[in-house]
Amino acid sequence: MKSIKHHLMFILPLLAILLGIESFMVFGRVTASYGENLKKAYTILVVTRRPMTPEAFRKIDTNIDRVESVEKRSIVEQIAQGMSNASTQEILKSLPQFYTVRLNRYLSNAQIDVIKKHLTRDPNVRRVETFGQAHNANYNLYMLIRAALWMFVGFMVFTSLFLVVKQMEIWQLEHRERMQVMEILGASSVLRSGVLFRIALTDALIAALTTIGVFVFLRYGWVAGSEIDLLVRKQELFFQYKDVFVLFGIALLIVLISVVLVSRNVKEVRDV
Amino acid sequence: MSNVITTNRMTLAYDKGEKEIIRNATFRIKKGEFVFITGPSGSGKSTLLKSFYGQIIPKQGDLVVGGLEMTHVSKKNLQKLRTHLGIIFQDYKLINEWTVAKNIVLPLIIAGYNVDMQQTQAQRLLKHVKLEGKGDMYPLQLSGGEQQRVGVARALSKTPFLILADEPTGNLDEYSSNVIWDLMENACDQLGATVVVVTHRIPTIFNIPYRHFIIENGGIHEVH
Repeated sequence: MKSIKHHLMFILPLLAILLGIESFMVFGRVTASYGENLKKAYTILVVTRRPMTPEAFRKIDTNIDRVESVEKRSIVEQIAQGMSNASTQEILKSLPQFYTVRLNRYLSNAQIDVIKKHLTRDPNVRRVETFGQAHNANYNLYMLIRAALWMFVGFMVFTSLFLVVKQMEIWQLEHRERMQVMEILGASSVLRSGVLFRIALTDALIAALTTIGVFVFLRYGWVAGSEIDLLVRKQELFFQYKDVFVLFGIALLIVLISVVLVSRNVKEVRDV
Repeated sequence: MSNVITTNRMTLAYDKGEKEIIRNATFRIKKGEFVFITGPSGSGKSTLLKSFYGQIIPKQGDLVVGGLEMTHVSKKNLQKLRTHLGIIFQDYKLINEWTVAKNIVLPLIIAGYNVDMQQTQAQRLLKHVKLEGKGDMYPLQLSGGEQQRVGVARALSKTPFLILADEPTGNLDEYSSNVIWDLMENACDQLGATVVVVTHRIPTIFNIPYRHFIIENGGIHEVH
């Protein structure tokens, strides 16, 4: 019973750290995907006097990615019904060029204003429409989600690290005498820390496997029925197999650091 | 006979050299000798013994143990030296969560001996210290005298060239003390080990020749 309690005192904070880190990776991917969708959906309308190539747009501002020309004929045909062909051609000639411009990343309103300024500075550009208000609301929501996630995960990891440090203090008390006796009898630091390392490694494996289990269940069990469009379409965002290596790596790193710190603090006293 | 321990004007101190405990100690202990070191409480007996296994480094002078200059010994060489020593403590320093047998073979575990050799040696030493059948017990299930016999068995398990004992009978009754002295005499006489014992009182009946050093007022001198 005492042994289970001791294991849990290391497993639980480690589990909290790993769950926090995996949550951070998952939500990072989800928000990045959401940001990508926002970016794809966002366009700037540019009106120019003469036709312009996409390269010419990219020279004006490096944030510009794709440029599509708006087909003028269909617009003219709708407004010029019943007119003669000659009149329609005349209207078409007199109309400027319309382009929808997409950006290569999701930008803030201020950054979009800079792009607008760059575009309007070009003598060939007559008008630029940036649809700022809707964009701003989306962007703020996106940034809020990211900030909330950072704070939540940061708090969780900080609190858990504090608990890991507390557990290390308990380990020091529990293993001090054995490690000191072994040191006096000539044991190397690897041998002295061996017992502690085995305990900590077992706990780390349990914590990492539990975290993986939780997220595998969420991906294959919960996400499918969640009706969250983004998640249902992109289940791979929720848990990826490379996460297994990241989680085991972090768990192993925490174990190594903890054991080395305990082992260093349990050094025998040597006076000079 | 070669010297196992040599000191030359050695000074030992605590508190980063502020508090001197032993001053200008010069003596030699030869291979196979049995040595008692006595003195009043706080005179520095245990400090002197600790310097022999490198837990305290001399402030001044020279100390050579088993051919190693202890003032400049590397961590690796110190570890190696310690695996060839047998150390016995007043408070036994057994690992309470390990069985008696595992405690006894701890020096063999440290030296990397295989499990078969560990088991063979454990059985032999349990018989030697008259604790047959108690190998699977834990130290706290034994009496003080029995625990110290485990401590002696552990010290003998790797056939050390030097046995260092700090008040080995300090916590024991007369019967248990006599058993421990018998084992120590045997280690010196039969196994040829050098034995250095720090004690308050030399036993009244002791069957082998020995040397006697007294520590007083920071100085150490031999009683002839």
